[in-house]
Amino acid sequence: MHVGATGQPGLGAFLTEHWSAAMAAAVLVALIGFGAATIDGFWSPLNLRSNLVFASFLGIATIGQTLCALIGGLDLSIPFVLGAANVGLVKLINQGVPSGFGIVIVLALAGLIGAFNGAVSHRLRGQSLVVTLGVGNAVLGLVQILVSSGGVSGISGGTIEGKIPQWIERFSSFKQSIGIAPAVILWAALIVLTVLLLRRTWFGRSLYALGGNPIAAERVLISSRWSWTLVFGASGVTAALTGILLLGYTGSGYAGVGDPYLFTTIAAVLIGGTSLVGGRGGYGLSVLGVLILTVLQTILSGFSLSQAAQEAILGALIIPTIALYARSPHPRLLI
Amino acid sequence: MPGNERPAVRVLAEQRALVTPVILFGVLLIISAWHGPHLFTSDGLAGAVIGAAPLVLATLAITPVALAGPAGVDLSIGPAMTFINIAVVLGLAPLGFSGPAAVFVFAIALGVALEVAMGTLIAVLRVSTVVVTLAVYLVLDGLNTVILPQPGGTAPAWLANWGSASSVLSPILYVPLAAFVLWTLLSRTTFFRNVRLMGANDRTAFVSGVPLIPTRIGAHVIAGVFAGIASVMFTGLIGSADPTAGASYTLSAVTALVIGGASLGGGRAKGLGSVLGAIDIWLISYVLSTFNFGLNASYWVQFATGAVLVAALVTGGIVTGLPARGWWRGRQRGMVPARPGR
Repeated sequence: MHVGATGQPGLGAFLTEHWSAAMAAAVLVALIGFGAATIDGFWSPLNLRSNLVFASFLGIATIGQTLCALIGGLDLSIPFVLGAANVGLVKLINQGVPSGFGIVIVLALAGLIGAFNGAVSHRLRGQSLVVTLGVGNAVLGLVQILVSSGGVSGISGGTIEGKIPQWIERFSSFKQSIGIAPAVILWAALIVLTVLLLRRTWFGRSLYALGGNPIAAERVLISSRWSWTLVFGASGVTAALTGILLLGYTGSGYAGVGDPYLFTTIAAVLIGGTSLVGGRGGYGLSVLGVLILTVLQTILSGFSLSQAAQEAILGALIIPTIALYARSPHPRLLI
Repeated sequence: MPGNERPAVRVLAEQRALVTPVILFGVLLIISAWHGPHLFTSDGLAGAVIGAAPLVLATLAITPVALAGPAGVDLSIGPAMTFINIAVVLGLAPLGFSGPAAVFVFAIALGVALEVAMGTLIAVLRVSTVVVTLAVYLVLDGLNTVILPQPGGTAPAWLANWGSASSVLSPILYVPLAAFVLWTLLSRTTFFRNVRLMGANDRTAFVSGVPLIPTRIGAHVIAGVFAGIASVMFTGLIGSADPTAGASYTLSAVTALVIGGASLGGGRAKGLGSVLGAIDIWLISYVLSTFNFGLNASYWVQFATGAVLVAALVTGGIVTGLPARGWWRGRQRGMVPARPGR
């Protein structure tokens, strides 16, 4: 914990301790001000509601990435698992599986895939990046092969049509009579749950211990293997959940639907101020990162920039935040 | 322990990283002989050389970064090759510089510039290679599509001619061979030993007086040279500029690197292993193309590449004898610089 320069509690000490959060919040406020000043209809209820829905998709997928970053890993399989869940659920529904049961199957499989990611990454001394890259490609390739082997209702160009039950579509729709999409309410509930998990439970605290100093964590009997397995399993589940919500939003399955989430989940984690080296940060910060990215995307779209240009700009913006939050100590300090 | 072993055993132990790629190579050759004998005709071999050349060089390009460790995976290689490809076809050739010398010098200079920029960020800011190269991946991938929304342009005639795969004994074979000779020469220098030492344990390297920042940037310079050559081969293969075709080289090259026995912890990687790994990846896609998967072909390639990557990681971990427990000790040895506390 950082202590203010004077050691006395006060605004300065508070800002020193929470300076990532303060900075992220300041950036968010500035972006909202800029957007409101330059984009017509920024405050329109429709725009706010649709932005919240987009934020909830990214926010739920970022839960997993945040947990992985806290223990010093990265999950690159999120876009692939997300896309696989998206087309896989359509296929299951087309096969006559009840939609609720189909969702349970998809979430369970995604959890198992994630757990495999975590277990293998741990076995390979934390090489989660390459493991998740390989597993993700294998899973999405396999799911597309399986989905397309069904004759007429097959996949073509990565898309699959099907009769999506109305309740799934309504879940992600922001044109509701209550004014807010159920997906946003689900995200709000998950925010509370995740923050409580990280701050108030033994498991949550053990993740910080593991990310901060794995050797010390093992000495106090925190199982690094179990933590990695559970955390990556959770990441698989949140990725699949996002894929299902996106299915409700778009109304048809598309294997490439997750592509933007490879980058945006990592960006949200970094912009919020969670260290990629592990042990520092939290999901509350990632929520700020998600909101910043969502507002930024609204502004960039408002200037009618193409998807590719947005990708390039966001990529360039991430490098300064890396310099703030992803640095390792100099070897001189480690001897 | 050394000294009382028979030389053959010791040689095998030293080369054990090559066991996986060699066995895989043999198995794939047998499958090819059975299911795709076209490979062994002179046309088939010529096609294999041009098909595999960009990947072989791309894998050689990310090998020094892996050597420099820790966790030195260069994810930017695919979009970087594409970026150079677009710059050569749309930027350099229209200016009138379309001779082999100009194209190679320009491509290598651009590759070195990109890699040095990344290497400087990584070395000076002490940020993980993965994060920097991922950010650069996104910047370049987006930029490529902004510059050139649709495939277009034509490669210089001599280069397109190389890509037409008319015979086995062509420049397209000599260039990768020359690159491999260059690699072999480089790998015998003191500088390269410093890179290996730094990758294996940066603290030991630091106290031994290895200048960490120049050494790391130097590793990226070598990476940039090979990335530039890889991009020229890639331009020859596709014969034009294409904003998206190159991005998949990232997954293929990383897979080839891992199959080739490189330790992602740093300090251990062989040029020969990387070359064999790249040829293996090309053979896998060749073998898959001999089956009649129709529209599913690309899904099969994606599945097979991912699955082989995971399989190589798991078996590679067993072959090179990672400890089953306590990988944190590996972390402490310098994979990710550990904190004081022991």
